[in-house]
Amino acid sequence: MLGVVQAELDELGANLAACARGDRSGLKRIFDGEAGRLLAVAERIVRRRDVAEEVVQEAFLRIWTSAHQYTPDRGSARGWITAIVRNRALNTLRDGRREDLVADDRLEALLDRDQFDRIMASWHRLDQDSRLRDCLGSLDETKRRGILMAYVGGYSHGEIAGRLRIPLGTTKSWIRRGLMALRECMA
Amino acid sequence: MRYDRKDLPEIADEYVLGLLEPAVQAEVEAAMERDADLRVAVAASRERFLPLDTGLEPAPVAAELWARIEAALPSAQAVPGAVPPTAAPLPSSNDNHPRAWRATALSALVASLLLAVGLTWSLTRTTEPLVIAVLLDGTGEVQAVVEDFGNDTAKVRLLNAFTVPADKTIQVWTLPSREMGPVSLGLVPGSRSAVLDGPSLPKPRRDQLYELTLEQAGGSPTGRPTGPILAKGFAKPPL
Repeated sequence: MLGVVQAELDELGANLAACARGDRSGLKRIFDGEAGRLLAVAERIVRRRDVAEEVVQEAFLRIWTSAHQYTPDRGSARGWITAIVRNRALNTLRDGRREDLVADDRLEALLDRDQFDRIMASWHRLDQDSRLRDCLGSLDETKRRGILMAYVGGYSHGEIAGRLRIPLGTTKSWIRRGLMALRECMA
Repeated sequence: MRYDRKDLPEIADEYVLGLLEPAVQAEVEAAMERDADLRVAVAASRERFLPLDTGLEPAPVAAELWARIEAALPSAQAVPGAVPPTAAPLPSSNDNHPRAWRATALSALVASLLLAVGLTWSLTRTTEPLVIAVLLDGTGEVQAVVEDFGNDTAKVRLLNAFTVPADKTIQVWTLPSREMGPVSLGLVPGSRSAVLDGPSLPKPRRDQLYELTLEQAGGSPTGRPTGPILAKGFAKPPL
């Protein structure tokens, strides 16, 4: 029952509960509060505004139809909503849209650098007293980069290996070890 | 999906980071529904990384985005705990309604007329395309060729027989620039080669992207590609 109480305290959780009851104003309140942030999250992954808008549009339909499945044991309402947008954006990438984002190699390289800076900025932007910020900082640089490229930029193992110029197998084991170190650090 | 309990945190992290192969990802999603420990591990992982998605600068939200979402919401009211309303049931495969057949026959007739007109036009024309794009599918197989004449017409030749369900259509797109985003050149009638009268666009450039997507009949409702990509390729000017 404690979980239910927590969900009631959480405004987003309450709005999700409204969605589950078929109350559209609940979805509108989530949209008003979260859409700008979710668009930015999606755009960091798909790298194109119009595609990011489609991702967010599809994600809100998903939020609406799945709201009744949300329970606090699935994490915070904000984390749950964000995960729906992230999954949608990652699936869009996997459908092969990464290649559509740019039309030539030079532009790709330019955007990649731009993207790389943005990915690293997401770490620097974390609160000074954030545990995640400290723990990411305690990793060696390649592991930190690999983890941030995957989470923030939606890069696959292969793409990370290519961009960091390290073999695929090494990339996989470094990221795995980096994630383990991060879990221990944040425990 | 079989996994060791001690691997749960690792599986959860790789799932949350989007590093799993699509098939494994789907298995994790299915396993999460019955394995409470996995659900908790995924929730913990999400919360660990969530600050990376909350501290960022929000993007400006286009005014019509909410209108588009609201228009697409299923109209039936959901009840708590009930199965959510889903899209209309899929038509059965042997949907032999005479009316549907008549519509198919008619659209085939229209398609062949269009093709005849297109062929006549192409035999008598003297203009050369400004660019030609060879479109490949995900496996690198050639699927179609688009010739863009730069005078608001483009010709798409399908080189592979696409199976297009009755309620779908193939739509041709190009990306004149990142700012403009993808623009529709038109629908391919009856999945046959066709000449398209597109909108007025900047002159097609070398390396401009062209793609075919499968959209609902009548074309993408959003004016942007929404369906799966059938083929795509970059343009080259003919020598």
